[in-house]
Amino acid sequence: MPKSEFYLRYYVGHKGKFGHEFLEFEFRPDGKLRYANNSNYKNDTMIRKEAYVHQSVLNELKRVIEDSEILQEDDSLWPTPDRVGRQELEIVMGDEHISFSTSKIGSLVDVNQSKDADGLRAFYYLVQDLKCLVFSLIGLHFKIKPI
Amino acid sequence: MADVLDIENQDEFEFDEDGDQGVAKLKEKAKKRKGRGFGGGHEAREEIKGYEAVDADAADDEPGPQRSVEGWILFVTGVNEEAQEEDIHDKFAEFGEIKNIHLNLDRRTGFLKGYALVEYETFKEAQAALEKLNESEILGQKISVDWCFVKGPKKNKRERRRR
Repeated sequence: MPKSEFYLRYYVGHKGKFGHEFLEFEFRPDGKLRYANNSNYKNDTMIRKEAYVHQSVLNELKRVIEDSEILQEDDSLWPTPDRVGRQELEIVMGDEHISFSTSKIGSLVDVNQSKDADGLRAFYYLVQDLKCLVFSLIGLHFKIKPI
Repeated sequence: MADVLDIENQDEFEFDEDGDQGVAKLKEKAKKRKGRGFGGGHEAREEIKGYEAVDADAADDEPGPQRSVEGWILFVTGVNEEAQEEDIHDKFAEFGEIKNIHLNLDRRTGFLKGYALVEYETFKEAQAALEKLNESEILGQKISVDWCFVKGPKKNKRERRRR
């Protein structure tokens, strides 16, 4: 019996004046966390970091995902990615695999005006919680202080 | 016996082929699929190579906790959503000087999300806190304390394969 499968990837980005600007992070089943942040703004270069997190971090991540109930949602009614940008969320948990894509979300106003406000809201908050966790992990591990 | 390890190129230019294959297999295994992300159109994704890592101590090849750039970080879970940073600080300060605490909020409710990162400068301090505080309580709720970061799989396992 395979142990519970788990994988998570999140991407948000757009292509524009400053190149392909994006943020992407990925948690692999073996605990490897990969983080990439790219922009050519003022000729900036890509930040790429990786680290292995303890099983307890993966467990907490799974708990956060389960609490969000995102696996019960569906992106079919969500706004499609556009010129302004795109977001991608891919999760494998147990025998379920979701791969959602949507446009960037500016604020709760965009969420509340969408066709599937409840689903998009779950996505919106989950993404914020995931970013919080990842920024703390990467920020502390590599001592990158926020500006 | 040929040594396939290239010691010059630490983690900088490593191609995680095993990892990539493992992930691909994992995705195939899932029975239920949902979402527009399936079926191509992944022009957004760039192939990123060369992720930086904190150098693991070369001498010590055993799996175990991994040091961060300036200290040792613990991952605490089960934190009562009404706890305050002070509660964490008071509990953990007994074991050494706390260099950093991250106690993140649930972005929807405004309460604590339930986890915390606590950093000490030395391994000894972190280990003492881990052993004493794991399964202790904060505001009547049991917390778990573990290392946050660990060393990756041993390098010798990852041979360069020619395909």
